[in-house]
Amino acid sequence: MSDDNSGDLDGIFDKPLGRRDFLFDSAKLMAAATAAGPFFMAAKQAAAAERASLGGDPIASGAAAAAKKNFNGVGITKIAESGPQALEPKNFSGPLWKKLTGGSVSVVEAPFANIHSKALAEHLAKSGALDVIDTSPAWIPEFADRGVIIPIDQLVAKYKAKATFNDLHPLYRLLSKYKGKTWGFFDDGDVWNLYYRKDIFGNPKLKKAYKAKFKRDLRVPTSWHEFDETAQFITDQMAPNVYGANEGRALGNPGNQFYFFQQFRNRGGRFFDSKTMKSQINNALGVGAMTDIMKELKASSPGIEKLDFVSSWGLWLNGKTAMIYAWPPTGRISENYAQRDKAFAFLPKSKIVGKTGYALMPGKNGEHAGSFIQCVAADSKNKEAAFLYALWATSPSISLQRVMLPYTLRDPYRISHYKSKAYRALWPSAKEYLITLAEAANNAVIDMQMTGAADYANALDREMTAIYAGKDVKKGLDDAAKEWDSVTKKLGVDNQRKAYAEYLKLPGATAANTVSKLGLAVHIT
Amino acid sequence: MDRNIRWLLVSPAILIIVALTIFPLAFSLWVSFVQFDFSISNAHPWVGLRNFKETWQDPVWVHSLLVTAILATLAVVIELALGFVLALAMLRPFRGRRGLMVLFVIPLFISPVIAGGFFDLFLRRPFGPMNWLLSGLLRHPVSIDFTVDGRWPYFSLLLADAWQWTPFVFVILLAGLSAIPDELYEATEIDGATPRRAFFFVTLPLLTPIILIAVTFRFIDATKLFDIIYSLTRGGPGTETYTSSYYLYQQGFEFFHLGQGTAGAWMFTIMLTFVSFWLVRRLLDPVEE
Repeated sequence: MSDDNSGDLDGIFDKPLGRRDFLFDSAKLMAAATAAGPFFMAAKQAAAAERASLGGDPIASGAAAAAKKNFNGVGITKIAESGPQALEPKNFSGPLWKKLTGGSVSVVEAPFANIHSKALAEHLAKSGALDVIDTSPAWIPEFADRGVIIPIDQLVAKYKAKATFNDLHPLYRLLSKYKGKTWGFFDDGDVWNLYYRKDIFGNPKLKKAYKAKFKRDLRVPTSWHEFDETAQFITDQMAPNVYGANEGRALGNPGNQFYFFQQFRNRGGRFFDSKTMKSQINNALGVGAMTDIMKELKASSPGIEKLDFVSSWGLWLNGKTAMIYAWPPTGRISENYAQRDKAFAFLPKSKIVGKTGYALMPGKNGEHAGSFIQCVAADSKNKEAAFLYALWATSPSISLQRVMLPYTLRDPYRISHYKSKAYRALWPSAKEYLITLAEAANNAVIDMQMTGAADYANALDREMTAIYAGKDVKKGLDDAAKEWDSVTKKLGVDNQRKAYAEYLKLPGATAANTVSKLGLAVHIT
Repeated sequence: MDRNIRWLLVSPAILIIVALTIFPLAFSLWVSFVQFDFSISNAHPWVGLRNFKETWQDPVWVHSLLVTAILATLAVVIELALGFVLALAMLRPFRGRRGLMVLFVIPLFISPVIAGGFFDLFLRRPFGPMNWLLSGLLRHPVSIDFTVDGRWPYFSLLLADAWQWTPFVFVILLAGLSAIPDELYEATEIDGATPRRAFFFVTLPLLTPIILIAVTFRFIDATKLFDIIYSLTRGGPGTETYTSSYYLYQQGFEFFHLGQGTAGAWMFTIMLTFVSFWLVRRLLDPVEE
């Protein structure tokens, strides 16, 4: 290829642009951008999704055509997490679905935990106000048992859509299954990775000081012990400009139980004794995990106990953090990919573009935390239309466009997402990012997925904040375990034993049965 | 005919009261005696007093009652003292009094959730200005996490509550003070009483019913403290600042243990009724005498 691009430039200037035309065109462009808002940035993705829906993807086009034929003009309501998560159906899949089928998608927003309570409340009232529920995998057993959502197997068979599950990463294939039935379409690969500052780990002065202190090379930590040691070292050397770690620990945001679940199971911990159903979180493994978390806290910015997750991102983007373990959007915001869109103005522009490295979590087992499955509400008056929308939105090609939106918080979860050339071209290290995400899913541990999960999580979250405030680690975990036992008793020991046995069958329920350990790993190149 | 019209005229009011008050109350009473726990089952078998027993056995509930009593009492005492001082200071006209009155009353019009959020930002370490202000005043670095460390979360809640509700007490007491006739003070002056004696033997006795009104309203309201906790401490650290309202909200509307939550709400209502009854009796005593 020639370096001489003068020919191309000549083409541009073939027709001289007058000042009036220039001003007029600029004004039109600005008006369009202002009116379209976040959607403007996603025009490329919208065009690709539309092409796929008109024949490019048999699953997407089949769902859109069936909806247009049978449910033309039928509106549906979806409940989604408030903020950026709700932007996608409001600005992308909703308008596109309306264009394709004539049916509108209204979005009801609620904070993550409130989606659970709102869905239950609407079901209790039999209001029929919701058609599609963004359900966390942890709530599937409860929603299924209580009849909040419906199994979709028959509809999948009716619309010959089974192929949509083939392309899912093995970690995510079973998360929407419960008691032998499928309860929705998996839609968000929320696995945690370690993101680190390549420039800090490559700093010669720091490397020298580290070697002098620990008699080994400075590297990205591969165990939690090494992580705590490295984080403290960086803090000692660089604070207050940079801290080794900075995970927000506010109650319920993101939920301290995620931190504990991850490290506890990495040490080999199990939530319950399978026979007695007595809580195990206060055993030696639990105390060890919690002690490590306290060490990490010591290496973090003062006040981190009260900071939420978005604040952690703020610190990271401002270059104040050397290592952060977090959800996949961290990779995108680090490169300013998301902040191009005004919807992400709540985050600062990244000062660390090109400096972010991706690695598996220390000990390899990252938490698959939160996540969403698109489910059909049992009280919906338009179940089939809701099903078709969810099928279409999560189909391989539409979901790919959705996970590539600048303002999305939906993360890659299909093999085709990880391999997508378009995604890999989004920023220079996007390929490495996608490969790491797939590898993380191979080794991930999943959230507790059984009835009572929200109660167990809340009890632990609360006690962890008490430990941060000075309560003894063992005493705090003992109190949390006591509360877990009382929840188990209330829900019925036998019921919970069965539920826990079901849960243990899922890949990633323990560090001993991750996708990788089960021999199902998918290695992306 | 007349009798029928009478019933017809009151029937809309009766219907509204039955639909919005009697029915929900009766329904909630039923819920507190059945298993109404969404995480257990859709069926609602009769469980007798089990919901009440389970609530009482929950140490968090007992702790929340204690926290409610302490916070409500302290809040009322602080607000009464500050409100009284402010009312006395603002009683006589002076330049700028009107402007100050408006400033003092503004917090009353702010939503408690916003007030909690404001104090969260103000007190938060390291970004909130409180530590910075204290460091400047004390001339040495101060780094306190006011919503986490030791007993500071209680201080933070009281500060936010007092900031918002002292104006309420102030306005009531100012109205009471203004209503005391000047002649009484002139008479005490002629009798040779010192201002201090005039305060204790004229102002205070005449103001007692007004003080009781302020205390009654504020105490009943303070026992329901929820919004500020929701936005400032979220009941934390741990369950340290759980009030009964916050506990019941969580049981009922976050975890849908509706049987247990409703049983707790009934117990709380009964306890509060006793306290309110005692306060209202005190309030009515002077009138009945």
